[in-house]
Amino acid sequence: MQSFKYARPESLPELLELLEKFRDRARLISGGTDLLVKLQHGNLAVEVVIDIKRVAELSDRVVTTNGWVSIGPRAVIGRVVRHPGIESAYPALVEAGRIVGSVQIRNRATVAGNICTASPAADTVPPLCAYDARIRLVSTEGSREVPLRSFFVGPGKTVIAPNEVLAEIRVPAPHGAMGSSFDRITRRRGVDLATINIAGVLHDNGTAVFAFGAVAPTVVVAEETSGDLCDPTVSADRVDEVLKTLLATARPISDVRSSKEYREAMLLVAARRVQRTALERLTQARGGRE
Amino acid sequence: MSYSVIGSSVNRVGGRDRVTGRQVYSADVSVAGTLHAKLVRVPCARARIVSIDKTGALGVPGVRMVFSGEDLEPPYFRYGPVFADKPIIAIGETKYDGDPVAVVVAETVDAAEAGARAVEVQYEELPAVVTIDQALDPGMPLVQDPDTRGDSPFRDTNTLKEWRFGWGDVETASADLVIENEYSFPMISQFAMEPFAFTAAPDHDVMTIYTSIQIPTKMQKTIADLLGKPLSKVRVVAPDPGGAFGGKQHPKFEPVLAYIAEKLQRPVRLELTLAESFYAVRRTSARVRVRSGFTRDGKVAFHDVNADWLIGAYADITPRIVEKGSYAGGGPYVIPAVRILSRALLSHTTPPSAFRGFGVPQMNLAIESQLDIAAKKLNIDPMEMRLRNIPRKGQNFLPDDPACDGHWDQVIARAAENIGWNTPKESNRGRGMALGIKMSATTAASYSVVRLHADGSATLLCGTSDMGQGARTVYAQIVSEELGVPIERIHVVMGDTSTVPFDLQTTASRSTVYMGRAVYAASQDVKRQLQEASSQGSDSNEEILKSLFGKVSGEIIGVGTARAEKRDGHPLGGHTAFYELVCTAVEIEVDRETGGVTIHKLVTAGDVGKALNPQHVHMQDDGAAVMGIGHALMEHLIYDERGRLRNAGALDYRIPTTKDTPGKMVSVFVENEDGPGPYGAKGCAESGLLAIGTAIANAVADATGVRIRELPLTPETIWSALQEAGDRS
Repeated sequence: MQSFKYARPESLPELLELLEKFRDRARLISGGTDLLVKLQHGNLAVEVVIDIKRVAELSDRVVTTNGWVSIGPRAVIGRVVRHPGIESAYPALVEAGRIVGSVQIRNRATVAGNICTASPAADTVPPLCAYDARIRLVSTEGSREVPLRSFFVGPGKTVIAPNEVLAEIRVPAPHGAMGSSFDRITRRRGVDLATINIAGVLHDNGTAVFAFGAVAPTVVVAEETSGDLCDPTVSADRVDEVLKTLLATARPISDVRSSKEYREAMLLVAARRVQRTALERLTQARGGRE
Repeated sequence: MSYSVIGSSVNRVGGRDRVTGRQVYSADVSVAGTLHAKLVRVPCARARIVSIDKTGALGVPGVRMVFSGEDLEPPYFRYGPVFADKPIIAIGETKYDGDPVAVVVAETVDAAEAGARAVEVQYEELPAVVTIDQALDPGMPLVQDPDTRGDSPFRDTNTLKEWRFGWGDVETASADLVIENEYSFPMISQFAMEPFAFTAAPDHDVMTIYTSIQIPTKMQKTIADLLGKPLSKVRVVAPDPGGAFGGKQHPKFEPVLAYIAEKLQRPVRLELTLAESFYAVRRTSARVRVRSGFTRDGKVAFHDVNADWLIGAYADITPRIVEKGSYAGGGPYVIPAVRILSRALLSHTTPPSAFRGFGVPQMNLAIESQLDIAAKKLNIDPMEMRLRNIPRKGQNFLPDDPACDGHWDQVIARAAENIGWNTPKESNRGRGMALGIKMSATTAASYSVVRLHADGSATLLCGTSDMGQGARTVYAQIVSEELGVPIERIHVVMGDTSTVPFDLQTTASRSTVYMGRAVYAASQDVKRQLQEASSQGSDSNEEILKSLFGKVSGEIIGVGTARAEKRDGHPLGGHTAFYELVCTAVEIEVDRETGGVTIHKLVTAGDVGKALNPQHVHMQDDGAAVMGIGHALMEHLIYDERGRLRNAGALDYRIPTTKDTPGKMVSVFVENEDGPGPYGAKGCAESGLLAIGTAIANAVADATGVRIRELPLTPETIWSALQEAGDRS
């Protein structure tokens, strides 16, 4: 491992000052489950690693507010998926979060880190995109909010400026009944990276949002408003037809984990499973409301 | 027979240390004043080394030496267990992705790494031999220089060696059904839990090598030859390996470290990362073509086998792997005619070495799949098919070798009964079974010393490497049984060539049989001396020891030997000590949409002669089962077309996790006390792995109707096969 400096600011202004100073020569660390591997393997050399775990203003909690659920940048995945507000309303995020890495990883790694690493295969990204999460970024210049869907630029690349830090992940509360689900294909059952992953959210108004990972340089989000995916009476053939049009935006490639052909086929298999489960949940939610 | 501790599941000697982290592995060894080494590699399969600029590296504070092939002069020292073909560092040309071109030695690990980054290597990438077809193509470059291959008839080809075995006449053998197929077995990593870590420490005229190794005595010989020292001046300290599986039989980087350490007169240490271990050793891959004939009543009439084994740039022990794996390649059956042609083919890939099962699983996939295919075509139950062909105890099935040495029908019956072979199964599920047989050790030289101390406790010295198989425990049980010393009062000393007597090697599931016999003999030697010293013949050990050593202290030393000599003229150089025989049976379910396999139940049934420690036998079987599931479902080294290894490391080389283990895992065994080891034991360390891949492939065929003839059966492989079958129908 190449040597680097280590800084542990205690406050947000202190952190932002360090970021201003070191800019892209610095990397932030919270869980470190991605960063340390990269440093260890020599894939990344940085001048300074800035530890954000003592920055009081950066929360490690999930807070439910009016119309939003707010996930703090230091909230670890294991904790987020056990939060009652997440468990009850965002099952796709729970399903995704529960299979990230291993138990040890989930108790260390943050949702924010999973996002900022910007791996095309990140498991929590498709559900958060499908739920239309927003990212709040802060710097010495102020604060801005970016939809997660337009947050990613390429593998490992995001719109975060060198002097910015992710301050909050905001997930909108469902308007009306909603059903959602997540599935992924892996090479083995335990601790694996997704060959493909997929999250689907079905809304009461007939809108369906699907997000797929590991099929393009960044997450792909596709929306559909015919209502057919949200209707239990629609035939399986028609559902397939709609899913195929949604999936047409995916651009999978062949690599050591899978061939392009397998990824394409599995997208449809996983999309069907996600749609089926999400529709069951939507139906249940609709029933609950009546 | 009834015994006091033999046959009981006493806890592992040293087990507590292993699970609490107190165990000292080779990576934990710390010698004062050690320098640290880092290897420099170039990112391609084969390269001509144009120049190595060491200036930058030597300028890094703390760097003491940058060693490369230029620092050596001909004739170059080469080493290897069969052919001395491997130089201590690449000379002029690298021969596989990861073949080191230089070693940077520094005061700290960080400095060594910084130095390694600062070495500037100019190289020219050359065409490489990466596949079996390329190795057979006369237009491709030669992996080894013909001038280094002596009078080999194959010196101008990439065939290292060829073997022909068989009997009867496959051309004239009559059969009602003939089937011909080709099978592929992948390259697999041994993937031990501990990292490779080596230290070479010179002290006056003695060179000490600290390394995790299965054959310390051969390491000792290699280093002695390299440095021109007598064996007495080379000491190999071999802490119990944290998993070895055959991959730690032979030297890796110890020779280059010893050479550097001798030059600098400082200890030098090298620890490989997990990714680096993929460039250090692997399992031999193979492509096996087999034409098989069967009679209408399900008897095997003949097998005609052509097996091509892809080895690396250096032979290591692969000639023996190919030879032994091919020899009993027809399986544990009475077959009128067998013809086997096997070739070991050189390539520019990681040099393979031994791996649990040696060359058996590669051949097993072909032969045991053929049996199932034939059974289906002949409408005979696959288990019944096997029962019709296996030899009865005492029946000959290999012309030059001992007869069948066990009740193998009982093994099949135990497997069948535990998997519920004849019970109805749920839809989408499949059951599969496969037998495996392995030739064990054909020569042996194991020596042991038992010291019975004045207080009645005992120290046992022996040269086995306890790499998890539990040798320490079983030997302690033998001493305890014979001398009546409680296990906790026995200390087993292993792994230091300056202390323990010679042992040929910890390989081939031999240690319980051969070293077990030496330990038994040493215990008997002590017993005899006790009896001679006993006045009435009925005194207890304590009384005898008191009478002997009450005034002037001392101890009784017993020596035991177990040898098996070479048999000239025999194709393998000797008779196998016993046959390691297994029947693996599985019940699986296939997700037809994704190709994913769920293993509901896996049964390993073996013929162990006598389980000296049943718990240890179960642990061997369970360990082999999980390892075998990796072989069957997910593990393979992936090379690109230029011969660059694409999945070195844990991220993209997948081994099973606990979630991938079978719903139920059962280990059963047949005990007829008919083995050559103490108390009738046979070895059982490898059997669990021999047939798993085939059993699972047979079960997948049973569940889906689709036969896949390559491992691993990844979800994608199964999915593709199902798609293809669907397209065809």
